[in-house]
Amino acid sequence: MLAASPTTLPLFLALSGCAGPAVLSAPPAVSPQTQLLLHAVAAEHNLIWIYNKAVAVYSGLAPTLAPLRAEHEAHLAQLRGRVIEPSGKPVPDTVTSRPTLGATQGAVVGQLRAAEQAAVKAMMSRLAGASPSLAQLYASIAASEATHASVLGAGVGA
Amino acid sequence: MSTEVTALQGALAAEHAAVYGYGVVGAMLAGPELADARADWTAHQVARDALEAMLIKLGATPVAASPAYTLPFAVTSAKSAEQLAVTLENGVTRAYLGLVAVSNPTLRAFAAQAMQAAANRSTAWSGATQAFPGMPA
Repeated sequence: MLAASPTTLPLFLALSGCAGPAVLSAPPAVSPQTQLLLHAVAAEHNLIWIYNKAVAVYSGLAPTLAPLRAEHEAHLAQLRGRVIEPSGKPVPDTVTSRPTLGATQGAVVGQLRAAEQAAVKAMMSRLAGASPSLAQLYASIAASEATHASVLGAGVGA
Repeated sequence: MSTEVTALQGALAAEHAAVYGYGVVGAMLAGPELADARADWTAHQVARDALEAMLIKLGATPVAASPAYTLPFAVTSAKSAEQLAVTLENGVTRAYLGLVAVSNPTLRAFAAQAMQAAANRSTAWSGATQAFPGMPA
């Protein structure tokens, strides 16, 4: 095995024209693509939070909402799996938005529908800067969320 | 052939199949379901024409429809016709997912919108949503 010695390493670096690693510099900034991915993760956390709250308050909605919530949990798992966490700095799994729940069952369904529509719009805005495989995941999740909005607009909770 | 043209041809082939398939679907339905099938059939014809125009603009010859298609299962009732509609929409969604992978942002957005339309039609026929429309199971 080749081991670098205090005398050979500077010589090697000088010969190779390499300045060597800047060991004291700050960690690299999070790339725009990773930022978008982290926003998508947070958005799924927020959606799941509203679904949990809605089911807790209006248990009669559970048969309709539980399958949709389960799909959001699947979305979150897939998005979360794409995040490469910096060593020792895990990505926070936190809810960043806790809106007040609507006062009636119908209002809550409308609130969820609006949240799904906003999620579709946000997911579409992430497409352009994403890698091909991540763009496909975003597009698939957007399609799923579009169907959620349709289901919630079909007289549920009225 | 460019990646964009290949993906567009894939989407067009799926739309051709859907246009054919909805002819079979409609033959087994009546009333509001038939009206729904007609509306979806028209939507696929519009999408087919749009894809052909895009391909021509790129200097490619759009893939032609087959004279006939082998159905994935026998369609002998309204229920199996609705199952065929779901199968057709899922196939179209998969094809547009391929188009999402191209780097052109306009085509990506177009394909993602088309996925949403197809996924909504699939849900309307099946009554069920999917976590990952178009993605391999």
